[in-house]
Amino acid sequence: MRKEKLISLILGSLLLVTAQVASAAGDNWRNLTPNEKDRVLENYQRWQRLPQQDKEHLREEWNRWQRLPKDERERIKQRYDQQQRRDRHRD
Amino acid sequence: MKNAMPLQSACKEFEEDLVLYYYGETSEDERRRIGQHLFGCLRCQGFLGDLQRLLPQMARTEELPQSFWDNYYRETVAKLAQQDERKHWWRSLIPQMKIWMVPAFGTVAMTVLVIGLLFGKGNLSSFTLRPAEKIPHEILADENQLQFFESMDLLESLSKLQSQDEQKPEAVNTQSSRMRFQSGTV
Repeated sequence: MRKEKLISLILGSLLLVTAQVASAAGDNWRNLTPNEKDRVLENYQRWQRLPQQDKEHLREEWNRWQRLPKDERERIKQRYDQQQRRDRHRD
Repeated sequence: MKNAMPLQSACKEFEEDLVLYYYGETSEDERRRIGQHLFGCLRCQGFLGDLQRLLPQMARTEELPQSFWDNYYRETVAKLAQQDERKHWWRSLIPQMKIWMVPAFGTVAMTVLVIGLLFGKGNLSSFTLRPAEKIPHEILADENQLQFFESMDLLESLSKLQSQDEQKPEAVNTQSSRMRFQSGTV
């Protein structure tokens, strides 16, 4: 009886954690603007078509990006946004 | 009671004594005195006769047949069962649960909760406004994945951006670096 209770407790906790994680991701998705959502979906579709080598490279870049200091990340992000705006203006 | 006739009245001063006389709880003198009175008093003789007739019947307990006790037991058990049923009426709504059903039921309930948390937070517009769009599970799997796909463009030109950040030049064409990345030259 104690064993069954323990299994139920572990299963329940696991599902709660999963629910929390999924809920957080769902919230973030809902908070995106329609344009951002489109970009995410577009990137996802592009990702699906990428060769394995590029996928691995992107994963490495992602890990590197996360390890960067916060101020550097902000600078790079600003620079990237500037360039995006400039590209759009040119187009 | 078969012999439910009223007691004959005795002489007032002998009434209590006659009862004691009947039970043999009087002294020898008293007994003799009552005996002498009884000899000449018909009312007290009648009263004593009634006592001799009725008192043994009063003392005798009525013998009840076994069937009475069997019925009594059956009815009591039925009444107790009825009372118990009334107290736990809701239990009849739940079918007999086996022990493995408890974690199974818990899992189903939690799954429903997960779905509820995902879609029932009041803001369904982002889902309902785009009925044709199916959000891939990989995107919503966790927060990290979503951020990854959100910043994929940036990641593609990260090396370039980083080197620019070190050199601090003005403009960079990210579009061109992205195209190079897609073609596998990065």
